[in-house]
Amino acid sequence: MKPVLYGAFLLTLVPMQATVLHHLSLGGVRPDLVLVSVCLIGFLRGELQGFLSGLLLGFAQDLLSAGDLWLNLVAKSGVGLLSGLVGHQVAHVTTGVVLAGLFIISCCSGLLFLLLTQTGDWAGAALAVRSVLLPQAVFDALVGAGAYWALEERVRNRWALAE
Amino acid sequence: MWMAIFRSTYGTRRLAIVLFALLLSVLFLLPSQIQMLLHYVGGPVGQVLGMPLAVFSAVERGLTELWDGYIALQHVREENKALWKEIEELKEQNSQLREAAAATQRLAALLEFKQKAAPQTLAAQVIGRDATNWYRAVLLNKGEADGVRPEMGVITPAGVVGRVVKTTNSSSVVLLITDPNNAVPGLIQRTRDEGIVEGTAEGGARLKYIPLLSTVRAGDRVVTSGLTGGFPRGLMIGVVTSIEKEEGALFQSAEILPEVDVSKLEEVLVITAPYGDADANVEGLLPSRSIAKGTP
Repeated sequence: MKPVLYGAFLLTLVPMQATVLHHLSLGGVRPDLVLVSVCLIGFLRGELQGFLSGLLLGFAQDLLSAGDLWLNLVAKSGVGLLSGLVGHQVAHVTTGVVLAGLFIISCCSGLLFLLLTQTGDWAGAALAVRSVLLPQAVFDALVGAGAYWALEERVRNRWALAE
Repeated sequence: MWMAIFRSTYGTRRLAIVLFALLLSVLFLLPSQIQMLLHYVGGPVGQVLGMPLAVFSAVERGLTELWDGYIALQHVREENKALWKEIEELKEQNSQLREAAAATQRLAALLEFKQKAAPQTLAAQVIGRDATNWYRAVLLNKGEADGVRPEMGVITPAGVVGRVVKTTNSSSVVLLITDPNNAVPGLIQRTRDEGIVEGTAEGGARLKYIPLLSTVRAGDRVVTSGLTGGFPRGLMIGVVTSIEKEEGALFQSAEILPEVDVSKLEEVLVITAPYGDADANVEGLLPSRSIAKGTP
């Protein structure tokens, strides 16, 4: 079941990110669906699944991006692992917690990306933080929290029906 | 709270941390081998991704065309499109004529021959944008199977778009001229001063390393110099909008307004051979090796 699910993510999320999603961009910045998905998987299903899904989706994202082939692979698998570790420390997962968690993790991922790719142009890096990193973190947090809220409602309704 | 039961145990946490550490160590210790392995694995994965990418792109294109056509009235839009195409072709013609006029003043037989040789191109469709927010790049529907290779130049009839940086079997990634990681050798058409055109963080372009004595001014046209990269000489890059000359600096730089609006790309041309078959012709003009061997 899990390989099928991750395969479906690979075949829909990454191509969607590269094609239709730019219609949702604000100021040229789009939410990173791969980051949001990997973060939610790590948060809800644990470190190992977060790490493995990040590895797969990050690599696919690398193939459709101009950066080096390992950049997103490392960043997204790290995000999956980190969100799994964070998820273990939280007793009550709520939409608010997901919102805050995703914002922080998206910022961390962006900073890591900047550190790996910057070549000493600190003015450019500061501009990238203002114009890409922070807006994307806000976008990611909102999309992820929305997805979690919808997922939680669905699970809750199913459990209520079962009872 | 509802999801808490799905969380992993301590053992899987340790395994995930070990695997991540292993991934980082392998990447740092064997970077070139890992790049090769990833490139090898990327082939089939890219092929798998190609199909949904084409489907999403077709759906997006269809919906966009339907929407645009409905809102802007079909015939007006078509007319406008045809006029824009004509303007782009005329701009390119104009640029080529200016370049040809400048070139005739500095006749150099073999070099001139190369400049006039038409590049071989391959038409491709833009099917997407970079999958992250960190690069200004577009995806094309042509890849290695069609003869596209990294470092090839990409243009429209109006001018330079960017260069290919990554390819899979069925698609390729083009880093746009406005990306700060891109660098294309450029030439100021009027003064013949050379420099490097780089993208800026704001989404424009800048011609760097212009000699201090250059008389460059706003309005000057910048074209490809053809010295390196996948572009022939004389393709339009943009127009100089302002000059920056810092006190004590060795060079000056100029802000450029790119000729191609990279936010509205639909079809492009990939330059597969910058000077057409000029190299073959030049070789044909020279005596063959067997004859040369016989001469003293």
